[in-house]
Amino acid sequence: MAAPLDRRLLHRATAAKIFLVAVGATGILNGVAVVAQAWLIAHLVAGVFDTGGFHAAPLPGFTAGLWCLATVFVVRAVLVWATSRWAHRASAAVKSQLRIELMRARLKRPSDATTTSSQLIHLVTQGLDALDGYFAKFLPQMMIAIFVPAGIWVIITITDWVSGIIVAITIPLVIVFMVLIGLATRSEVDKRLAAQTKLANHFADLVTGLPTLQVFGRAKAQSKGLEVTEQAARTSTMKTLAMAFASGGVLEFIATLSVALIAVNVGFRTVDGAFDLATALFVLMLAPEAYLPIRQVGAHFHDSADGTAAAQMALDIIDAAERPIGVIDAAGLGAITVVFENVGVHHEGAARPSLSGLNLELSPGRTVVLVGASGAGKSTALSVLMGFTTPTTGRVTVCGVDLADLDPESWRSRIAWVSQDPGMVRGTISSNVRMGNPGADDDAVRSALDRCGAESLALDRPIADDGEGLSAGERRRVAMARALLRVEAGGVDLLVLDEPTAGLDQTTETRVVELVRSMGVLVVAVTHRDALLSIADEIVEVGSGVRS
Amino acid sequence: MSDRSATMPQVIGLTRSLIPRMPRGWLRFTSSLAMAVLTAVSSIGLMGLSAWLLSRAAEHPPVMYLTAAAVGVRFFGIGRGVFRYLERLVGHELAFRMQSLLRMDSYAKLADTTLLGRRLGDLLVRVIADVEAIVDLLVRVIMPFCSAMVVIAGTSVLLALFSPGAALLLLVTSLLSGVVIPWAAQRWSHAADIRAIPARGELGDLVREMTLNATDLVAHQMGEKRLAELAQVDDDLRAAEARGAWTRGVAGAGQLFFTGMTVVGGLVIGGAAVVSGQMPGRDLAILVLVPLAMHEIFADFSRAAQTLTRSRSALGRVLQVLHAPAIGTGDRVVDQDATTVGLVLEGVGVGWPDAGEILAGVDLHVAPGERVGIVGASGLGKTTLAVTIMGMIPPTAGTISAPASIGYLAQDAHIFATSVAENIRIGNKNASDKQVARAMERAGLSLDPERVIGELGATLSGGEAQRIALARVLVADRIPELMILDEPTEHLDRQSAEALLDDLFAATNQAAMVVITHDHDLMSRCDRIVDLSQWAQRSVR
Repeated sequence: MAAPLDRRLLHRATAAKIFLVAVGATGILNGVAVVAQAWLIAHLVAGVFDTGGFHAAPLPGFTAGLWCLATVFVVRAVLVWATSRWAHRASAAVKSQLRIELMRARLKRPSDATTTSSQLIHLVTQGLDALDGYFAKFLPQMMIAIFVPAGIWVIITITDWVSGIIVAITIPLVIVFMVLIGLATRSEVDKRLAAQTKLANHFADLVTGLPTLQVFGRAKAQSKGLEVTEQAARTSTMKTLAMAFASGGVLEFIATLSVALIAVNVGFRTVDGAFDLATALFVLMLAPEAYLPIRQVGAHFHDSADGTAAAQMALDIIDAAERPIGVIDAAGLGAITVVFENVGVHHEGAARPSLSGLNLELSPGRTVVLVGASGAGKSTALSVLMGFTTPTTGRVTVCGVDLADLDPESWRSRIAWVSQDPGMVRGTISSNVRMGNPGADDDAVRSALDRCGAESLALDRPIADDGEGLSAGERRRVAMARALLRVEAGGVDLLVLDEPTAGLDQTTETRVVELVRSMGVLVVAVTHRDALLSIADEIVEVGSGVRS
Repeated sequence: MSDRSATMPQVIGLTRSLIPRMPRGWLRFTSSLAMAVLTAVSSIGLMGLSAWLLSRAAEHPPVMYLTAAAVGVRFFGIGRGVFRYLERLVGHELAFRMQSLLRMDSYAKLADTTLLGRRLGDLLVRVIADVEAIVDLLVRVIMPFCSAMVVIAGTSVLLALFSPGAALLLLVTSLLSGVVIPWAAQRWSHAADIRAIPARGELGDLVREMTLNATDLVAHQMGEKRLAELAQVDDDLRAAEARGAWTRGVAGAGQLFFTGMTVVGGLVIGGAAVVSGQMPGRDLAILVLVPLAMHEIFADFSRAAQTLTRSRSALGRVLQVLHAPAIGTGDRVVDQDATTVGLVLEGVGVGWPDAGEILAGVDLHVAPGERVGIVGASGLGKTTLAVTIMGMIPPTAGTISAPASIGYLAQDAHIFATSVAENIRIGNKNASDKQVARAMERAGLSLDPERVIGELGATLSGGEAQRIALARVLVADRIPELMILDEPTEHLDRQSAEALLDDLFAATNQAAMVVITHDHDLMSRCDRIVDLSQWAQRSVR
């Protein structure tokens, strides 16, 4: 579990700071209003009790007192409304900031595999919503919990020092117990939660695997096993909850028990005439309010845990993508020559480098094919060339300039790229092909598709973002057409082809590569296809051929 | 499948049908409710009785007149924490039991209907999350609401003993705060939520697109443009959500306002009663402090109402699953008496029983050892044809004769979170260790059979996953006489794909083989190609 007050997260909260302060301020104002409310009620009740008439000394009159009390309630109602609005503004501002920064981080490291796509999508669209609990509730409540109990304690102590002592002893006790029990059970709770996740996932695992089970006629037979794991999961969950609820339970217990002690204590001293009713009632009504903000911190702590965990993950991703970006405009470099000098990539935490010691020279108009065993780093080499991955050793120079010093946008605008598994944006076939050249007309798009062997794909055929409805081969052809348009639009000196997934006929591809080469463009391809190998000017073996 | 929220009678009906199915169900429900009521009674009693104690004390009676009240105050003071703890435990246990039952029901229902090849969208993923709604429903909605109703009724009756007027006021404002305001707030914020749905959908689509295609976007200098679009969509979403927050704020303000009215009203009514001598002065504080304590009970009700809305839509989807008629056989039923060798389809019509016929008059003969490639655009019904051949749904017309042992290998066979060996035994639950090892060998799989894989275990490459799927097919007691391959190489790189096919063809060279594919390389390894579009009943984009 993340620390409740995360420095990095608070630092990010610039956009939200003013709203957070506003929420805290309304909470403190509400504390003041609560004191006023208790004082008014105490004196109104006691006035009637003491005199048997409508008096409310020291108030000017009973009716005036009622109006004051009504006003206090209206003020408190307005504060509730304001809190809700500003708390929402606070968390919305932080969420927006993190969303944009997360996606910017993804675009900075587009081929980063440390966070899976589904994790990132879930985090940006839903995970960050858990921050509501943190920013809209937990943080403001922390502020309130620091000031309001202290203020109320001072007032109680001034009014009745004995009750003041009870509060002064029990509030720290509440906090100490809450934290101690929380800490004592945390490791056990975390351990159990991990075990439980495994059991809880059994249902998910079975349901997602149902079509597979049915093919083997084994679906119905799994019910029995499901019942057993459900039972086990429940038993273990309840044991965990019994512990997890304990910390909150102790808090509630001490808080309400203290109020009861104060009530009884004040009651017996009232009999002796040490207090009048107004004072006694005032202390009684204030006592729970001293504990309330702390109880609410405890209640919101759970909400905040999910939020800080989500934020932690988001900030890790954002921070990992922080790196200086080159500024040299690649448009001014002239004909492209690329040199790889002993380039290696070793991802953090990986057992082996993804690429090591690659030396390579690419000069205009040539066709260079990279070959090597699966896992040797061919695709990683292309990723480095595209500027998606930063080499951990060695360097890549473009016309003598370090690739890291080039503005990546300007560098990539000189490249046409066909990836291993080409991405499709939402839209149509034609809008996807037009990514290569936004100004191309329909005829140009059609012709590019036709030359890439995609005669059967209609221009206006809709495409979802995952390319659903297109086979891998069809996606590949759209991407080839995209690259062709881009080369033909001019300004492109380099065609990068990553090894195709299954499903494309190689003659078309080879035809397109020859076409591009004839335009004087440098081609770098990863492939093991004979057709493409046969037209290569140079074949480079990547890696030592260790198979993963 | 339409998204329909469960109606309140459906929600209550579901709850009432689940409770008696667990051991001592109603006892659990009642004790959980009792604990919730006692929790509320303790906090109200603490303030009410304390108020009376102080007022009585201010009359300076002998101390022994206060002893009973003092014990009561202490009891409520202790009780609040204890009852709350017990309520949470008993309530959660009940809720988790209901969730288990709902999971079992949903699983049984889904297992009973043929799922392979159906366009289910994310139905399966949603059901997993949707059944969890029952926990929130019970713990956050049903229990608090039922106990609040008991407490409101009880408190009103008790207060009526002191002052019928103040009691009536409390009853009315409690119903306003506890029922009307949360209900209205839920309706308004639901309306705001609905307005936020398009923005949320657009955000999801955009984020998905940017995440899945990040490399393609930056390679084409489209990143900044997408980020600007994202900022715009995010603004829209924020504006839509702000309306929801506004409504919740108004609801909270309204609840506090009514509490204030009850307190002020209690003072007016009670004050008049004291002045006119109808009520002793010591009871006045009760009329004022009890409504104040009641406020705590309703404060979370607006949130509970929102939870209810969410739970209703989730349970609506669960009920749809539970009430849907079963389609097909669910589990594949093997006709052990079948003696056919090879596959013969004559005039076969293909289609889901709940939808129209998609292929008609399919004639297909596949001899043992022959590989027939089946091609056709996506959505034409290739997988549906496979499901029909396996007998998991009936053909709409014509006759199919197929051998008893059929092996089916798809592109996306599920890998379960268990050991490699157990994953392979899906294909033959009685397989001995030796059989498993043999199947692994023939599938070209060099993994430790005891290695745990899937969700919580080591990840597998696409090639290894496909080889596990193949080993499942090969572990059967009889080598398949018919193999149906459904895009087996779709997610594999070239080298892995070719290596897999080599092993697959070597292991099953005697089988009749139906190969559904888009892959040109795979097509080139088939003996002949059959284009399904000749039998298509509807045009496919």
